[in-house]
Parts: sequence; structure tokens; C-alpha cells
Amino acid sequence: MDNAISEKEKNMAEEFNVDGMLDMFLYESSQLLENLESIILEKQDAECFDDNDINEIFRIMHTIKGSSGIMMYENITKVTHKLEDVFYYLRESQPDNVPHMELVEHVLAVSDFVNGELEKIREGSSPDGKEDKILKDLDSFLKRLKGEIKEQGIRLPRENKHEEPSQFYIAPMASDESHFYRIIIHYRNDTQMSNIRAYSATYALKDVAEDLLYSPEDIISNEESADVILAEGFYMLLQTKAGKEEILQLISSTEAETTDIDDITAEEFGRGLVEVAQGSSDDKPIVIDLGEEKTEEGKKKDEPVVPGDYVVKSKETGKGKTLAKNQPKKQTIISVNVEKMDSLMDMIGELVIAQAVVLQNPDLKVPGLDLTNFQKAAGQLSKITTDLQEVIMSLRMMPLTNVFQKMRRIVFDVSRKLGKDIELEVIGENTEVDKNIIEHVSDPLMHLVRNSVDHGIEENAEDRIALGKPAKGKITLEAKNEGGKVYISVKDDGKGLNKQKLYDKASSNGLIGDKDITEFEDSEIFRFITLPGFSTKEQVTEYSGRGVGMDVVVKDIQAIGGRLDIASKEGNGSEMTLVIPLTLAIINGIVVQVGGSAFVIETASVKEFIRLGEDSVVQEPDGEEYIVIRGDCYPFVRLSDKYHIDNAIDKIDEGIVVVVEHEGKQICILIDKLLQEQEIVVKPIPSYIKKVQGLSGCTQLGDGSIALILDVAGLVESEERR
Amino acid sequence: MAEGLKEELQEEDTQKGKFMTFQTGKEYFGISISYVNEIISMQPITAMPEVEDYIKGLINLRGKIIPVIDVRARFKMEPIEYNDRTCIIVINVKTTMIGLIVEKIAEVDTIEEDDIVPPPSLGKKDKEHNKYVYGLAKTGNTVKLLLDPEKLIRDEDLELLEEMQEEE
Repeated sequence: MDNAISEKEKNMAEEFNVDGMLDMFLYESSQLLENLESIILEKQDAECFDDNDINEIFRIMHTIKGSSGIMMYENITKVTHKLEDVFYYLRESQPDNVPHMELVEHVLAVSDFVNGELEKIREGSSPDGKEDKILKDLDSFLKRLKGEIKEQGIRLPRENKHEEPSQFYIAPMASDESHFYRIIIHYRNDTQMSNIRAYSATYALKDVAEDLLYSPEDIISNEESADVILAEGFYMLLQTKAGKEEILQLISSTEAETTDIDDITAEEFGRGLVEVAQGSSDDKPIVIDLGEEKTEEGKKKDEPVVPGDYVVKSKETGKGKTLAKNQPKKQTIISVNVEKMDSLMDMIGELVIAQAVVLQNPDLKVPGLDLTNFQKAAGQLSKITTDLQEVIMSLRMMPLTNVFQKMRRIVFDVSRKLGKDIELEVIGENTEVDKNIIEHVSDPLMHLVRNSVDHGIEENAEDRIALGKPAKGKITLEAKNEGGKVYISVKDDGKGLNKQKLYDKASSNGLIGDKDITEFEDSEIFRFITLPGFSTKEQVTEYSGRGVGMDVVVKDIQAIGGRLDIASKEGNGSEMTLVIPLTLAIINGIVVQVGGSAFVIETASVKEFIRLGEDSVVQEPDGEEYIVIRGDCYPFVRLSDKYHIDNAIDKIDEGIVVVVEHEGKQICILIDKLLQEQEIVVKPIPSYIKKVQGLSGCTQLGDGSIALILDVAGLVESEERR
Repeated sequence: MAEGLKEELQEEDTQKGKFMTFQTGKEYFGISISYVNEIISMQPITAMPEVEDYIKGLINLRGKIIPVIDVRARFKMEPIEYNDRTCIIVINVKTTMIGLIVEKIAEVDTIEEDDIVPPPSLGKKDKEHNKYVYGLAKTGNTVKLLLDPEKLIRDEDLELLEEMQEEE
């Protein structure tokens, strides 16, 4: 610990380029920015930020400033520092009339800037964004704030100075002419913030020092070192070419009671501070009591602002809090590489198969074996593997919070730019969805939200009032989990969809032939908006109306096995609901056998199983077959014909007919027999094999064999096309 | 980091010039050992509908589902019955894992670069074969046809399709 600090720091400086650190920086910074945005957007409509928020934002800026400084990303450091300054003022001066909206915009601008730079770093390029404009804006904003404060005659706190990170300034240089000194400074007992005094002493020596050790080491990060310094004095070992007098002059301070400078040998210097500062605080455990600190801070809040020491002190308090607050958090959540999770999942799959091989081993079928104990143990094993599977599945689940967070931002941005007053209500943001799905939900949802803000809510508040609606538009974003599906709905109380308009537009674009409007159900008319190249908005705005959008939304959602429901009432608003599966990785499936092959049909799409006689089949002259069940006629697919499977049953009365449904359309499939219903881990068909119509994936069954998953949507579509 | 690289280089070095050779019909084939992941015995194969006939289907390799192709069928040779000497060589070509069904594994052979000659082109008739064979190697009494796995697993139709998609 007392090894040459400079050495340690040199190593640290080298490690700064290591990827792990960069990852950490990116991860932490983006987390902090997310926090920041959530605070801002939560309070966007409030009159002002409360003390907690200001502290939190200050802390976030401070942390990002610090870490970006270490990573040498100067523009991020500068911008965050400037914003930190602003919040420093807010915190210390607590001015009354802060233009809240303006402040929010400034914070978002900084957040965007840093986000953009982080993105650049992530992509491997250097963060070269120009910070000048933001700095200038913030500067003038700050000046205005100050101006107003001055007018009110409130005393200004001292500038919040940017402290250089202490780690970098001491450059060790070995030299023959160097002297070695031991310096002990005792401060007067009533000295405030003696650790900062000590720090300034080390800082003063930076120009002359070739190497410098000091104890306690953590004078900047740990406030309690101040007490240690008061009690035991501040020890420094200095290697320098300068003389005693010069040093004395540099570090002299009015607060110092005594300053001793002794010559020591190089060996003594090499041994470090262990002997020099016996009983120093280094080994003492440092206890940070969060609760106590908070109350302490609370007290300080009430104290009048005094210029001078207090300014620095409160800043250090902020740091102490950062330390104490962050530690428990880090231990409860860790980020894991998705690849590792996937390989864990594969291995658990293997485990399940290996287990099946053991438990169903043919050796066990020898007659006359007493397997009582074996069966007990086997039962236990099965239970554990089942639990294990559940746990790994739950690991992949993530709350929608982050996605919804983005939507808040979009509503905020778009509504402000369009000059609409809109309130966003968010319900059920903790709903959990598989990670793979979340990635696919974000973009479609963004389209829907933008549409609601842009097209849904009326242009003018007067129009709303005329209809008896509150002047402020309202958009509700809701997520819920029902029956193995997740419903995410975007609801607005705006204009709603005009059926006649939709119909006219669709028919003038030639999208629907020449059917009359009365021939369509409401939902069918609403569905027009999802057709490619359809947009009723005459003018293209920055946000929507280009006619690409809804069809992309539908495509994206269908790609993950979901659908889009549209409900609307003209004048009252519309509701768009995304219905998506909880997870892509696991489906509930029914395993069926056709000839020698096993197929899986998703349970949710099965309407019924039915045994029918030969007379239910109707054959057209061209060979096309239909099945009549209870008077209704359904297209009929024989998998054995479609996929050329041998040895499959082709007499209907010997097999089972499965009625499957996709988006209201039903078809019948003939199978040999039902094997079982189970949870199926979906795996993609290897990309080497071309996509086969009607198959969406494959899976391994309990015995290690492979079953192909039937893509009901694809089958229905291919039947339709015929 | 640097060490890992060194190791990799060394590994590359020990693999250099080594070929996994196997026999199919009367002919011996060789495939650079750096592509070979493992050799497994014959597995139950799940047939895939609507694929080329040389793609025999899918196997479950410890939780990974990989396609297998029959090398004989790939070369348009007469199919043979699988027996207990039939093996699957699992190769890894540019992150694609594929199993090759071969009649029997011969050995791992070191073939010097000087012993490899490009295949003679004998007009159109031989074209089918030559596409996958990038060299002939004479070791001992046999001539081995060295396969280019990347060409072997590439499908002409697929390539065409991809080209079309790219053009779009």
C-alpha cells in the first residue's frame, strides 16, 4: 500500500487504455445518463427540481466528469463540468426563479451530447463532437442566473473549481542530485478540512517533486482523513532537487501549526511511509454510515451559505455520498455477456438431454431390478433441472423500463417541437419481456408513439376544448402480461381514425380494388394504415407521414411472432396494441408425429384436434382438398405430401386432424398422432439450409432427437396464395 | 494478449500442412485439419424437407443443431449404406458448423506444400468435381484430393440467390 504511489499511479495510467476499463466507463456512463433522463422527464412538468434531484444531477455530472477525465475524453469532461457548475449554483444559491423548461432543455442537450460521444467511442472512433456551443449556451444561462441572483442581493458562493485529478501530476524522475525529505505537517486543531489543506500542500510541491509519497493516501476521496490528519499530522516523503527553504515556502500555510522537514536517505525513502508514520490511518477500516451522512447533509442544507471553506466541504460530502451509495448497488446487479448466457442455456439443454439418457437408459429395463432408490434420486434430479431451466429463462427477462424511458423522451421532444401540450401516462413499465424481444419492440413502439403525438392529438387545444376534451392531450403507454403474451398499447385521446378518409385514400391508391366501404369491417379499414405506401397525412412532417412506418411496424412485429391490433373511435382517440410473445426462446408446443418425423405446433395457434371420417374431405377436380367440419369449409394440408414424408398415415379416419388458426384464418393439418405437449426451446434452423416454407425453427426433444417447428402463419399464408 | 496471439500462431504452425484424410468410394480425400472440429460416430439424422438431396438433415451435437451433408451425394456419386465405420466430420467454416458424412476416416497426414499440385482441368466433364478440389497430393501410394471446405459447403444456387439479393 505504501509502495511508491507514483509507481502505482503510473501503472494505473497505463491501464487506462485497457478495454475492460473502457467498457466499464461506457456502461456506467450510459447508466448514469439513463438515470438523468428519468429524473428530468419525471420532473419536466414540475415547477422546479427539488433538492434531491439537484443533488442527484450534480452527482451524475460529477461522476461522468471524473470518469471521462480519467479516460481523457476532454469534450465530455468540459460539458459535464459546465453543467455541474450550473447545478452547483442551483444547489448552493437555491435561486427562486429558475426558468425550469430552459434548464430541462440544457440538461437534455448535455445528455444528448454525451450520449452521442459515448456512441462514437463505442463504435471505436474518437469522440470529436464540438462542445463549444453547449458550453456557450450553458455559460450564458449560468450568467443570467447569476445576474438575477445578484440583483436579489444574495451572496454568491465561490466558484466551483474544477480540480485536476490528483493522480497525474507527480512524475518520478530519478536523479543523483536529489534530496530526500520527510515532511510532517501538524495543523491547528480547529482547522477546517485539513485534508484539503494537505492536498493543496502536495499540489504546491508538484513542480519541484520528483517523487512524492504521502499518508493518509486518500485525502481527497475520504473526508475522514481530515480527522486523522488533525490527530496525527500529515506525512510526506519527498524526493526533490529543491532546498528545504524553498519547500517550506511552498507549503507554508497559515493553518499549519508546525511544519517539520527532515533529511532522510534514499533507502528510508524506498521503505516508504510504514515506519515513518506508524499508526497511520491506512489500515483502519473506514466505515461510511450512509444514514448518518444523510442527516449530516440535511443539517448542512439548513446552514446559511458561507463563502470559503464550506464550499469545498460540501463538495467533498457529495463525493463521500457517491462512494457510499454506489457500493451496495454494484453488488446486487452485475452485467453479463449475452454470449455467456446463451452458452449456459445450451449447456442446460444438454444437461436435460443427458438426464433423459440416464433416466431412460435401456440398462434400467432389465427385469427384476429394484429401482426404488434410483427413482427417488431421479425425481430429485428432474426437479433440480426443471428449476434450473426456469432460472435461466428468468435471467433473460428484462423489464420494459428502458424502452418506456425512450418513449417519454420522444413524447417530450416531439410534442414540444410541434407545440402540443401532451401528458404521457405510463402504466406497467416493469412488465418483463425476453431480452431478444425488447430489442425488437423499441423501434415499432417509437413509430406508434410518434404517430400518436403527431397525428393523434389535435393540432390546436381549441379543437379539443370544442369537443369537450381537456386542453391537454393525453397519451397512455401501457404494458401488461396476459396469458403468455405481452400487450403493449399506445392510446391517445385525440382525433381518432376517420374511416371514410382511410377508405378513400386506400381506394385512390389502388390498394383495395373496387369494394364498397360497407363491405369492410371497422378493423379491416383501420388495417389499411398498415399497408405499404399508405399515409393520410397530406404534409410530411419531420416525425411521421412519409407513408413508411405502419407497414414497417407490422413487419417488425410479425418478425417476432406478434401482431398489431388497432382500435379507434373518431373524435375520441385511437389505441394501437402490440401483442407480442413473452419470449422467443421458449414456446408452449404440441409435439406431433407424421411418419417418422416429429413436428411441433405452437399450442396457442391450435384451435382443436378432431377425428374425422373420410366423408369430411371434399376434393376439387384439380386435386385441391378441403375439409368440412360442422358445416364450415377449411383448406386441408397433408404434411406428408407437402414435405414428402414416407410412411405417414394418409387416411383421414386413421389420423388426427388439427385445426390451426392464424389471424382469424384457419386451416386443417393431418397428423399421425399426438406425442406430448411441452415447453419447447426454439432454435433457428441452421442458416446453411435454405428457408423452408412453413417451418420456423427446430428444437431438440427430451430424448435428444430433433423436431421441426411448424410455422402456422407461413402455412396459412401459403394456403391463401394458392 | 500478445501471448494468446503467440499461442495461436504456434497452433497454426502445428496444424500447418496437416490434413484429415478420409475415404469415400475408391478415392481418398483430404481436408485441412484447421477446419476440423471433431469426428463423431453416425448419429440419428432428422430429415429436412425441401432441401437438396445431398443435405441429409440435422443432427443434434450436444445441444447445437447442425446440418449434415453426404460427401458422396455432394459429388454426385452413388449413395451407399451407412455402417458402423461411417463417420461425421464436423467442420467449422467461417462460423458455419457443418457435418460431413464420410465412409471412413483414414488418418491425419502431413502433406508438404511442394507435394500439392493443382488439379488438371480436363474440360467440362470434370468440372463438377474440380470445383471443390483445389489440389492433388501424392503421399505414399495414393493420390489424395484436397477439398476446399468453403466451396464444398457453398451452394451455387445459394450464391446466385445472394447475388440477386445484393443487387436488390
